[in-house]
Amino acid sequence: MNRNGNTRKRPLPTSQPTPSPPAAKQQATTPAVDDEFVDEDVFLDETLIAEDEENLILRDMEERQALASRLAKWSRPSLSHEYTSQSRSILFQQLEIDYVIGESHKGLLPDRSGMAAIIRIFGVTREGHSVCCLVHGFEPYFYISCPPGMGPDDISRFQQILEGRMREMNRNSKVPKFVRRIEMVQKRSIMYYQQQPSHPFLKIVVALPTMVASCRGILDKGIHIDGLGMKSFMTYESNVLFALRFMIDCNIVGGNWIEVPVEKYKKTSKNLSYCQLEFDCLYSELISHAPEGEFSKMAPFRILSFDIECAGRKGHFPEPTHDPVIQVANLVTLQGEDQPFIRNVMTLNSCSPIVGVDVMSFVTERDVLLAWRDFIREVDPDIIIGYNICKFDLPYLIERAETLGIAEFPLLGRVRNSRVRVKDTTFSSRQYGTRESKEVTLEGRVQFDLLQAMQRDYKLSSYSLNSVSAHFLSEQKEDVHHSIISDLHNGNAETRRRLAVYCLKDAYLPQRLLDKLMFIYNYVEMARVTGVPLSFLLSRGQSIKVLSQLLRKSKQKNLVIPNVKQAGSEQGTYEGATVLEARAGFYEKPIATLDFASLYPSIMMAYNLCYCTLVTPEDVRKLNIPPECVNRTPSGETFVKSNLQKGILPEILEELLAARRRAKADLKEAKDPLVKAVLDGRQLALKVSANSVYGFTGATIGQLPCIEISSSVTSYGRQMIEHTKKLVEEKFTIIGGYEQNAEVIYGDTDSVMVQFGMPTVTEAMKLGREAAEYISGTFIKPIKLEFEKVYYPYLLISKKRYAGLFWTNPDKFDKMDTKGIETVRRDNCLLVKNLVNECLHKILIDRDVPGAVQYVKNTISDLLMNRMDLSLLVITKGLTKTGDDYEVKAAHVELAERMRKRDAATAPNVGDRVPYVIIKAAKGAKAYERSEDPIYVLENNIPIDPQYYLENQISKPLLRIFEPILKNASKELLHGSHTRSISISTPSNSGIMKFAKKQLSCIGCKALISNSDRTLCSHCKGREAELYCKTVSQVSELELLFGRLWTQCQECQGSLHQDVLCTSRDCPIFYRRKKAQKDMAEAKRQLDRWNF
Amino acid sequence: MEAMEIDAEKNLQRKQSTYLSLDETFEIQKETYRGQQYSQIYFARLHLMRTLLYSLVPHWKSHLKVCTVLGLEEEKECIIVGTLYKHMKLKPCILDEYSKERSAVPLVKPHNFLHLDDHLVLEDESGRVKLGGDMLSPSSYVTGVVVALHGKETGSGDFLVLDVLEAGLPPQIELPLQSREDKYVVFVSGLNVGSSTSNPLQFQLLVDHITGHLGDEKEQGIASQIVHVVIAGNSVEIPSGLLNGQNLASKDQSRLSEPVKELDILLSQIAAGVPLDIMPGPNDPANFSLPQQPLHRCLFPGSAAYNTFRSCTNPHCFELDNIRFLGTSGQNIDDLEKYSEAKDKLEFMERTLKWRHLAPTAPNTLGCYPFTDRDPFLIESCPHVYFVGNQDKYGTRELRGSEGQLVRLLSIPKFCETGVAVMLNMKSLECHTLSFGTQFGS
Repeated sequence: MNRNGNTRKRPLPTSQPTPSPPAAKQQATTPAVDDEFVDEDVFLDETLIAEDEENLILRDMEERQALASRLAKWSRPSLSHEYTSQSRSILFQQLEIDYVIGESHKGLLPDRSGMAAIIRIFGVTREGHSVCCLVHGFEPYFYISCPPGMGPDDISRFQQILEGRMREMNRNSKVPKFVRRIEMVQKRSIMYYQQQPSHPFLKIVVALPTMVASCRGILDKGIHIDGLGMKSFMTYESNVLFALRFMIDCNIVGGNWIEVPVEKYKKTSKNLSYCQLEFDCLYSELISHAPEGEFSKMAPFRILSFDIECAGRKGHFPEPTHDPVIQVANLVTLQGEDQPFIRNVMTLNSCSPIVGVDVMSFVTERDVLLAWRDFIREVDPDIIIGYNICKFDLPYLIERAETLGIAEFPLLGRVRNSRVRVKDTTFSSRQYGTRESKEVTLEGRVQFDLLQAMQRDYKLSSYSLNSVSAHFLSEQKEDVHHSIISDLHNGNAETRRRLAVYCLKDAYLPQRLLDKLMFIYNYVEMARVTGVPLSFLLSRGQSIKVLSQLLRKSKQKNLVIPNVKQAGSEQGTYEGATVLEARAGFYEKPIATLDFASLYPSIMMAYNLCYCTLVTPEDVRKLNIPPECVNRTPSGETFVKSNLQKGILPEILEELLAARRRAKADLKEAKDPLVKAVLDGRQLALKVSANSVYGFTGATIGQLPCIEISSSVTSYGRQMIEHTKKLVEEKFTIIGGYEQNAEVIYGDTDSVMVQFGMPTVTEAMKLGREAAEYISGTFIKPIKLEFEKVYYPYLLISKKRYAGLFWTNPDKFDKMDTKGIETVRRDNCLLVKNLVNECLHKILIDRDVPGAVQYVKNTISDLLMNRMDLSLLVITKGLTKTGDDYEVKAAHVELAERMRKRDAATAPNVGDRVPYVIIKAAKGAKAYERSEDPIYVLENNIPIDPQYYLENQISKPLLRIFEPILKNASKELLHGSHTRSISISTPSNSGIMKFAKKQLSCIGCKALISNSDRTLCSHCKGREAELYCKTVSQVSELELLFGRLWTQCQECQGSLHQDVLCTSRDCPIFYRRKKAQKDMAEAKRQLDRWNF
Repeated sequence: MEAMEIDAEKNLQRKQSTYLSLDETFEIQKETYRGQQYSQIYFARLHLMRTLLYSLVPHWKSHLKVCTVLGLEEEKECIIVGTLYKHMKLKPCILDEYSKERSAVPLVKPHNFLHLDDHLVLEDESGRVKLGGDMLSPSSYVTGVVVALHGKETGSGDFLVLDVLEAGLPPQIELPLQSREDKYVVFVSGLNVGSSTSNPLQFQLLVDHITGHLGDEKEQGIASQIVHVVIAGNSVEIPSGLLNGQNLASKDQSRLSEPVKELDILLSQIAAGVPLDIMPGPNDPANFSLPQQPLHRCLFPGSAAYNTFRSCTNPHCFELDNIRFLGTSGQNIDDLEKYSEAKDKLEFMERTLKWRHLAPTAPNTLGCYPFTDRDPFLIESCPHVYFVGNQDKYGTRELRGSEGQLVRLLSIPKFCETGVAVMLNMKSLECHTLSFGTQFGS
């Protein structure tokens, strides 16, 4: 496939009858499903730019000598003599593995010629040297099952036919030979239990990785073979990415250490990359070290965190075709260090200095971009991180450079003169949904976008950098609206400095998140455990991780995995996990919780469930397996027991869980915090991997779905929950000699809640332990029921919704635990969350139900009386597309349209989050017509609609909590006397108000007064003192609030002498701050009326 | 209680003194809230204090270069001037009301917000730098103080402080020639009329003493030497529940205005005889943020009729017979106590004078009007008497400055709790207390 760059150099032949559309467009239109793995051959000579152009760039470099010397001090440590003289073996931790197509290496492979795939391994040595290892001799291949009766002659004829068909398909390819060779091997398919140990298979070795797919296509469709007729073949392992194939066959796992012994490598004659150590070797010479002991450590790789700022036009989100890049902030940290060793910012136009930061100012945007490119090249980061860099920052930089015509900009990878490749991809998976994104390939550097990692690993109500850092680092980040950014940029050196400080903070936060959440450790360990390259973890779904393990294990067992055609979801769904019916209520006695430890993996191990142990219904009849050697699952499938055939999946699971136990034991021993981090990351990765095996078998559009396995797993799970319930309720009874009858009040996927009826936590714990032990004894190993915790008190609302205090020791509760009622949903306002939390706190911890009821009543009364803080009522939704594209009218979309009509400059754009409140409007108005911008509401005194909030926001969650506790909860809470008084503010912008004449009214009784009276009417004159006290107390409350709010914002921005600019609408005090400012002015005016 | 016999021959004449109000700087006239922020007051403060400190530097360490935070060079000793910011772990934060999960176990409330991890940062318009070294103890400084520091930037980017220069006591106008007469000023604070702790009889005794209706001739003689009364804040307490913005029943209306009326009656008794200054305090029906504006005259229909009655600002500054008085109702010192440490309240007062700033923690933790072009709390001229109201106990000390300034520091206790008022003799600037008890020995 051709990538960008080559068309200019070598235009497509016009004689071609049907010109294929440009590759990039093809990519955009065919969504690459997560589970469809496609290799892509990149021809080395085509991505490189021409020699003369290279000279031009170099000359250009000299012009920027000053900058170069500034950057040079950050280059990597220089090589020792041992390295330069090639007198030592090279040991390095690899981070990225890919391949290119190039001329076969004559020195290493004298008997081969022509184009071949060369594997490139990029990594870092212990000393911090960068490594590019070019591996030769590894060839792409796959299997088909050999038709019976095929002899050596038949095979060579078959090879000729296949070669002929391949040549037809790829007419203008210059490869001399497509099918290198076909070997007969003895293998067995992983599918279904088979009695014979092996069958003959054909291993087809092809010239280039992409030929695997085209060859598979030919064989799928059918091929005419003399004597056999038209025959189609099932292919095996034809969907394995080439790099992964290489890793599996060489026993390399993601992020491990690789050693190339001395004299087994040859320094490249002409360096293709910018790496310090670049050499060629044969794939058979690599030594792959298992990540244990010394080799579990991390090399000191360089992590670059960066952020860019663009000067957008008013009313538009920045677009690379129009808006310049004005600043780039960079922080570089060595893995394992807690402080960055480089901090700098590149700015367009002058910028005042910043303490501890290297500020580099440039006159043209071209210089800014090229400085960044030089910086990347000189610092040579191994990992590039940032927030939304994959979708925004990187593509923006590249497209911007294209707009400006800077052809030499996108040389950001590690390969000399190789341009960065950009393509649109659609990432879709069952777990994460469909996302469109741009993929920028920086050869040899791993990209780690914190936004993607967050979306993958955490469920949050908002993924803005602000709210993510507030959540994990408990820090509010000031948020400068993109319309202000241009103003700051167009100001002076001081305002640009202000912007630079902001930009630096945005570059720093991803690094802090990375450290705080141990992403590097966790992801490297995940790569090591599952055996896939680091870059797969973020860019691909779960299934490749399981597939990688399955392939590794199969290889050991001489099994091959069929490439099953994408079956779609027609296989139907199967019954999922059941839950025992919840007996809703408020339990004031301790509830013991019995949990199955890793239930699904245990079931698969206990019952030996696997592809290779499954017996087809047909075979059940044919094979005559003795009944004591099989398990029939509750869903009706048959699997052989492990004495006949040990399953691969159970074996993988056993290894994973054993490794996890080991990691946990080591973790206890470990002292060094870095070692601890590695081990903790590993045990977590092992747990996640073990749990994802079940999901892999159930993924109906996955690599190797097997509904028989997954439905058997859940059916066993259901049986076990039922079984536990039965045993508990049979054994723990008064008749059985216990004080009370036990009762199972609820059971979910892998846990059962039991009320033993004992009044104290200690006794409940004792019985819980006894029950767990007793019931575990009745299960097949390793299925185990564990007693972990007691809930006391426990509020069970319905299935998957409960709250309770969580006890693991009898003296003190650990925390308040809630499921399903945490109102993390985005379309809820903060009021709901606060109200629910406060009520649960009062009910569970204070044990004060009347107090909770009173609190609800007060809150509702405040809402109706218009005393509610507006920020609590704001609802936020992301605007993902423009109004026309939405099929149903939505409140936030309508509002965005309306705001655009008011002022296009500040209206939200696609990609922004739109905050709104629901306001009072004409009767029968639709909800989407009643949304309004909170700031507009504040400025114009628009009345909010308390009924909407009462009915659509707070009533449901409240009733859920109170219904198990209170009789007539709805009547009591939502319709009591506290709902009778209502106060609504008068809007200052409504039509009728334009005709109203303003006249002073008496502060005491609101009667109209003449201007000469100023404050009070004649009747209220005697109440001056009282009324003044009231006015002044309002002023004083507001002053208090004003001071606290505005000094808090100064605190967040980290400066006393500069004005607060932040417009973060995610910040809980943003609206309050605005409102305080406005109210203060109004209150002061009222107070001034007294100055007569 | 008293039989008032007026002896014509021994008719005592109350002494007089000349009064000059200097409150103008604390008055908010046309200033309004137009969206201005707090950065400007810090800017004004830094600007004025820096000019001052720069003028002192040549006498302090003339050999060192003065630079800005940005101009710092590693390992090079220099002097920087800027506003201190104290980073405090325990400082209450308004965001916690929203974002923090409610903790299950209630926290023990500490008496102040200090923590061992607190550290100081110096800021000027150009940037911030973290301060290190043992010279500058975070526990005795607060956010908002402007100082000059001698030190150097270390490799880690911190500024190692080697020496500190505070502005020191401001220049003082010369104390007028000592008059031969004893003249007294009475200070009282925390009357809290209307609160459960206030005892109406105690206050009445104080009033009677001041007005000369109490005691024998000698006592009356002393009373006649009282030339001025200062009430330093918290004169009334208004039941808080009544002010939530709803219309009040007539019963509550009177409950609200009753304490104010009572105060008015007593004050008019004083004002009838002696000039009286009343300052607003944190509990009074006045605005919250500093400078607090005078209590409104409509609250005092009775006493406001006398020209001896003056409703003043808080802080309050005036001159009596050319002796300069400066004082507050206590907020500035109470706030310092929350965010720093000292051996007693008088030491906090001493610090504010040396920093030349009445309320450095405003606006950071102390409410304050967002001034745009000035900082009224800078102390430009050293007072002779510096008083602070509403403190736990009486205390006084004489403070001498390096240029011969002499200041009488005075912490005035809460009257409703202690029954103590303070008398200051203008001849010697000596003080003594007046204690009123209503407990009769049983």
